[in-house]
Amino acid sequence: METVFDIIFIQELLLSTVRMATPILIVALAELYSERAGLVNIGLDGIMTFGALSGFLICYITGNPYLGILAGAISGILINMIYAFCTIHLGAEQIVYGMAINIFAPALASFIYKIYFGISSTLVQATLMKTVPIPILNKIPVLGVVFFNHTPIVYIAYLLVPLTYVFFSKTKLGLNYKAIGEFPKAAESMGINVMLNKYIACIICGILAGIGGAYLTTAYISTYSDGVVAGRGFIALSAVIFGRWMPGGVLLAALLFGFTDALQLRLQVMSSGTPYQLLAMIPYLSTLFVLAFFGIKKAGPKANGKPYFREER
Amino acid sequence: MKNMLIKIFVPVISVLCSFIIGAILITIIGGNPMEAYTYLFKGAFCTPANIGETVIKAVPLIFTGLAATFAYKCGVFNLGGEGQFVMGAVVSIWISTTLKGITGIPLIIISLTLGTIAGGIWGAIPGILKITRGLNEIIVSIMLNYVAILFMGYLYTGPLREGNVPQTASVPVKLGRIFSQSRVHYGIVIALILTLIIYYFLFYTSKGFKLRAVGLNQIASQFNGLPVKKFMLFSFIISGAIAGLGGSVELHGTQFRLMSGFGQGYGFDGVAIALIGQLNPIGTVLVAYLFAILRTGATTMQVGSGMPTSVIDIIQALVIVFAVAGSAFINLPKIRQFFSNVFSKPRKEPL
Repeated sequence: METVFDIIFIQELLLSTVRMATPILIVALAELYSERAGLVNIGLDGIMTFGALSGFLICYITGNPYLGILAGAISGILINMIYAFCTIHLGAEQIVYGMAINIFAPALASFIYKIYFGISSTLVQATLMKTVPIPILNKIPVLGVVFFNHTPIVYIAYLLVPLTYVFFSKTKLGLNYKAIGEFPKAAESMGINVMLNKYIACIICGILAGIGGAYLTTAYISTYSDGVVAGRGFIALSAVIFGRWMPGGVLLAALLFGFTDALQLRLQVMSSGTPYQLLAMIPYLSTLFVLAFFGIKKAGPKANGKPYFREER
Repeated sequence: MKNMLIKIFVPVISVLCSFIIGAILITIIGGNPMEAYTYLFKGAFCTPANIGETVIKAVPLIFTGLAATFAYKCGVFNLGGEGQFVMGAVVSIWISTTLKGITGIPLIIISLTLGTIAGGIWGAIPGILKITRGLNEIIVSIMLNYVAILFMGYLYTGPLREGNVPQTASVPVKLGRIFSQSRVHYGIVIALILTLIIYYFLFYTSKGFKLRAVGLNQIASQFNGLPVKKFMLFSFIISGAIAGLGGSVELHGTQFRLMSGFGQGYGFDGVAIALIGQLNPIGTVLVAYLFAILRTGATTMQVGSGMPTSVIDIIQALVIVFAVAGSAFINLPKIRQFFSNVFSKPRKEPL
């Protein structure tokens, strides 16, 4: 146990925290964009799974992880359009439909994988995205390795946080967008096209959630298997609640959950005596504890989860 | 009557659409849909043993489907069916392999009861967190699924492991078989009795009426003096208990031991089944049986026509996608108007 507080250990831990927090952060931002437009999407896990598959598949075929990420984004949009149509136009209950996506998307992903690689396939490996160190900054001791030695997706994910903040708080477009999640009737009467904006929200959500899934199979591990997402979509959902629907809060929440994930992996490597299952529970249990002690009852957009019909009074 | 027709109409059309899309998929990957579907239904119905298999496969699905239905009727989402199912089985295997001196039917009864209680406790956690801390029950129940599955994994690789293979010992007493030529066990009887009890409770008792009232409109129920939070917690506990009993029955009737993959996916399947069954206990049983037919036939289809079993997973998933969209669609004001015009009898004009 002496090695626990080793500088190398801490550096490794922080490095993998940043890396593990990335998919949660991207997907939590996806949910943020969706919920700010009044659409609760619990289908994130499903979209991620499908994004993970298409990202992996394209990466395997072309050998280019960036095309994989692109494929993840596109397939995220496609899956989320089903959700968008059914909840926006048909007024289906959002939670229920998200659940339907959670069942449908993994089934489709598993089907495509089995068709492409055969029924009894061994684990297929694809190329992994290379890290692109940022020059000069990566020479800073410890911090350089922790923050500036990652794949480009990681940088983009963290850059999205200030961009999202600026968009929602400083631009007219963002304020209009937020109004839809708060009071769509008023937004409509001010000349904002609610339906259009909701679709745009779903497109953004699909892109980000798909990228979050594709990140797992192109930049984190180089294989795809059923259950690769392992509930990260739901952890991202709780990151939005814990982060109180604010980009900065979401970042902190994602880092916290990334840290627990990194910690349990490090502990698994270090203590071979402890059953790995008990350590693997850490991220899920800490999500529960964090929510139980710091979650708040109601802080989200007011019209969140409610269907909107233009004609209705 | 009109409502009944519409409620049956949506699932039936959804199933048909899913089969059609399934056929298109089969054609795309180079198969013959008619041949594949023939093998599918042959596999499910050609011998008494196969029909028995469909019943066996339906049993756990009925339990998790009922669990989801019960919670949803009170307006709460229990997505933790899988965790509660697993915890029920975990407690059952622990009790039945460690309890000495009791054998036979008393042991099964004790084991099933404790499994039910375990499921109820596991289901109570999201309920308590929801009513005291206002937490989103969806996230809590899903996090608990992962915890339960990992805990089960810890048990069958660690303390309860038997032999070299990572699995537990077999249960000492098994649920009896109903017929000699198939593996159908008394679990199906338990499942069907439970269905009737739940149906009676929800639709013919005042408690059940109040529970449904809470599910339909919490604020109105609160104003009418109903203890909304108590009902929510109650429905979570009962929902968990149903799933826990399901896990226990599955353990004693079909699987006999815990190993990797026990109960996998049953929670979400239960939710899907409940939604397709229009949140009606009887509908839940029917849809669970349909899913069981598909699963039993899937293997025969894979062997006979070379179509992978995941075609069936897609069909199942499509049914839920269509059923939920369909239910929303017929509830749109315009469509509802249309249906009421179709179903209302033409009025006789007085001359």
